[in-house]
Amino acid sequence: MSTLTDIATIARWEVKKSFSTMSRDILPLAIILFVLLVLVTGFTAQTGLHLQDGMYRVGVDDPQVAQLIASDARFSVYQLDASTLNSNRNAFDVIVVQGQASGHGTDRSNAALKTLSRDYGKYVNSVYNTETDLFAAYPLWIDPESVKSELSFLSTQSGQYISAAPSRAAPVPEGAVQIIPTPPPTLSISEDQIRAQLVQSNAQNTQISRYTEVLSSSSALGGFKTPSQLSPPLPFDSIILVFIFIFPLYFTSQFFMMSIMNERIERKGEILLSTPVRASSIIIGKALPYFIGMMAICAGLTLYLRVSPLIILPLIPIIFFFLANALLIGMLSRSFKELSFISIFFSTIATSYLFFPSIFANVHVISLISPLTLIVLTIQGTAWTVTDYLYSTSLFWLTGAVLFYIAAKNFKDERLFSEKPLATRIREFLSEILPPKYPFVSLFLLSGFSIPFVFMVQMMCLVLFFNLPMPYSLVFLLLFAALIEEFAKSIGIYTLFSRDAVFFTGKNLILASAATAIGFLVAEKLLLFVTIAQISDSVFGSILFLSLGSLWLPLLLHFVGVLIVAMCLKFGGKKWFAPGLTIAMIVHCLYNLYFILGWLG
Amino acid sequence: MKGKHLSIIAKKEFRGLFNERTILLAVLLQLFIALFSSFLMVGLTSMYDPSSLSKYSHYRYSVAYTGNESQLLSYLKTSPDFRVYQMDLSTAVAALGQRKLAAVIYVPDTRPDALDPIKITLYTVQNDLQSAIVDVKLKDIFLKYEQTLRQIRGGRLDVQPLPLQIPASTGGGDFYEFVYGLLIPLLVFMPAIISSALVIDLITEEYQHETLETLISTPITFPEMVWGKVLTCGLLVPIQAATWLILLMVNGIAIENPVLILLHVSITSLILILIGTLVALHYRERTAAQFIFSTGLVVVILLALAVPSNPLNLLTKLAVGTAGTEQWLVLGVVLAIVVGLGYVTQKYAEMIAKNHKTG
Repeated sequence: MSTLTDIATIARWEVKKSFSTMSRDILPLAIILFVLLVLVTGFTAQTGLHLQDGMYRVGVDDPQVAQLIASDARFSVYQLDASTLNSNRNAFDVIVVQGQASGHGTDRSNAALKTLSRDYGKYVNSVYNTETDLFAAYPLWIDPESVKSELSFLSTQSGQYISAAPSRAAPVPEGAVQIIPTPPPTLSISEDQIRAQLVQSNAQNTQISRYTEVLSSSSALGGFKTPSQLSPPLPFDSIILVFIFIFPLYFTSQFFMMSIMNERIERKGEILLSTPVRASSIIIGKALPYFIGMMAICAGLTLYLRVSPLIILPLIPIIFFFLANALLIGMLSRSFKELSFISIFFSTIATSYLFFPSIFANVHVISLISPLTLIVLTIQGTAWTVTDYLYSTSLFWLTGAVLFYIAAKNFKDERLFSEKPLATRIREFLSEILPPKYPFVSLFLLSGFSIPFVFMVQMMCLVLFFNLPMPYSLVFLLLFAALIEEFAKSIGIYTLFSRDAVFFTGKNLILASAATAIGFLVAEKLLLFVTIAQISDSVFGSILFLSLGSLWLPLLLHFVGVLIVAMCLKFGGKKWFAPGLTIAMIVHCLYNLYFILGWLG
Repeated sequence: MKGKHLSIIAKKEFRGLFNERTILLAVLLQLFIALFSSFLMVGLTSMYDPSSLSKYSHYRYSVAYTGNESQLLSYLKTSPDFRVYQMDLSTAVAALGQRKLAAVIYVPDTRPDALDPIKITLYTVQNDLQSAIVDVKLKDIFLKYEQTLRQIRGGRLDVQPLPLQIPASTGGGDFYEFVYGLLIPLLVFMPAIISSALVIDLITEEYQHETLETLISTPITFPEMVWGKVLTCGLLVPIQAATWLILLMVNGIAIENPVLILLHVSITSLILILIGTLVALHYRERTAAQFIFSTGLVVVILLALAVPSNPLNLLTKLAVGTAGTEQWLVLGVVLAIVVGLGYVTQKYAEMIAKNHKTG
């Protein structure tokens, strides 16, 4: 009960303090800026973004065509007669002579032709949209239907092609054939509705969809599309909405970061630490107002944008993760510069992890590693399951919790007010959660807790390398997965070693390696069974999380890996850490290769 | 103002940056973004133009054609991308479910010159990368068929669009616009944003760590200290921007006029750095200053982008080599703003120094 009161008191202080440090003259300026922001956004929306103006040079012989092309600011249009154009064709990216456009094969020329053909397509559509006989202009309609694969859909994700060896004869399905009703030959909606929809989708060419050929077609047409609308829909609108949600969260976590940093400047937080309040209560109390604030912002945005309140669910672990990181960054950095750089670094990486997979939301199951994909899906109106939720958020929950634990353990005088370099401080922070009394138990726990981070980094690699051609993606993944795992395992040993090198007698060396290896293995299996079943079944998964079958072989592998690093440290000192890590990585790779080759053969 | 004093301050700040190795983080950040943007490009290319990945281009996908005969069937048969089987709908969909086919097409019994549209049903496997590729390849065939049908029904159109023949895409140039029109201006301009955030840190730090008194008790004046910090951040911009340009060039992206780009970025960045300086001098506290500055930054950049021939647009034009003499006019305007802001900064710093002495 008293813990709760403590937390409430600290939260109240935090709110009061942040209002007083944010001096009163900030509010008027903030309001002015906000009004300006709204005005400027409106202004920019009207004039358009002039970022790519005049990228291409086009020479045209016909005034009507020139006018048509010049409506796109990306083209600088020069109207000249045909013979001048033909003799100076290399001065232009594209020339249009007598209704025939031609380029000269450079990248820019090709890009200009593509842009031109997209513009022309839009123009043609805008003409066709006004036709009285709509079905003379749009004679062909496609009704895309999805078929759920009966086989595991993971088979194609492992880089194999859809079908088996090509044959002359038509393929014959196995088992009973379900009767598919013949689709009705007519569209189920009226011509007027279709026209309205076509006009709308033609007008949708925002600045962003310039980068793709996609006219994001909404499902208001009952799913019918003209051939030119037939492309995997890129969820751009939803992704922009997602950004609207994520940005305020960054801002708020910045405030939290600063509040922690402010406690440390000139030892202002010492008074708080001298009270009998527990460190964890202080941390929770300080974080609580920000958490509530972030939730309030999200709830407000949800109401304002009138989207399903379900999107709050995937946002909670993101908020939790942001706060945990903000706390640790605020505790680690020594100066404002360092704070800025680390927080920019963190937000870039977090954004990439969150944002890029969600671009593939409609295309690939791998996009589910980001909670943002769930938000995109919710906005689109696609349902997701509890398993999906667990799968994409569990890593955020776990890493957030571990970071909070580390921060709580280190929230005391000698850590907060020391001025050592960053790497040393990180090591000290880790050292704090490795009590000297129980070295092996703590090594076991540390390597266990490192698993969510390892998974997170490996997931990132998976996303990163997934798009390389097949052999390279495997090779890179193989190397990086091994390196990341070996690094994570050796952190504990390294920390112990730099604290107390004498501790590593021959017997302790083996015990420590064993504790680390077992901790790693246990946590890996636990998390694997809870979440990652989807990916772990593909070829990529088998590299990352090999060894679902027997247990003693991977244990041996983990043990040997740690032992190699520990031996190098013992006999070569700290400078042998990197070489030891390399050797361990090579051993790990060889082991993986042997099993994958065996598995593939 | 003495140049020696400025360089003392600048040296002190640079030493601080190198000691903390924060500059390393910034470089790492650059590398990381470069890596991820190349991932994004490869990923998007493979999604929207599968033929750009050679491994997909020589593969013939098996598709089933069901329903009634049409011109579409012969288009599919002559296409090098597909192997067509004429099948019964139910069998074909079952085979699709077992991944023995890539797609199933059903064509109804509507005549090409009918009043009603022709509605084709396209069955593909749900949530699958290969389906997306098949979709894109089929799209070309459907477009060709749509063109044929339009010609057949052409007599019924009231308005004909202006004719313009554009040669079919020869490949390449897909992400030219993305790279030159978005990535390059963004990446090259990022150091300016980082530097202006940095100047806030450097100034508020002196206030919040209460090291200002010591600094001003030396022969260095308060305005000199401010300008020293501005100089530090201003010098970082071309260094970082040059790193970007080199990274991009190593990645095989040809950039025209790199020296002019650096010149423009360095001068334009001074606007942001000076705004940052003014905000920091006013608030003397990092949280408030950074908050106001980042909101203001969004306003300034949005406003700049709304104006034709803005400095960011100029970076694009310089990088592709289409910038003309108008760049010097833009540079002149930017310089005028910089000088104006510089004057305000100098006066403001002098005022603070005077108040400090008297107060």
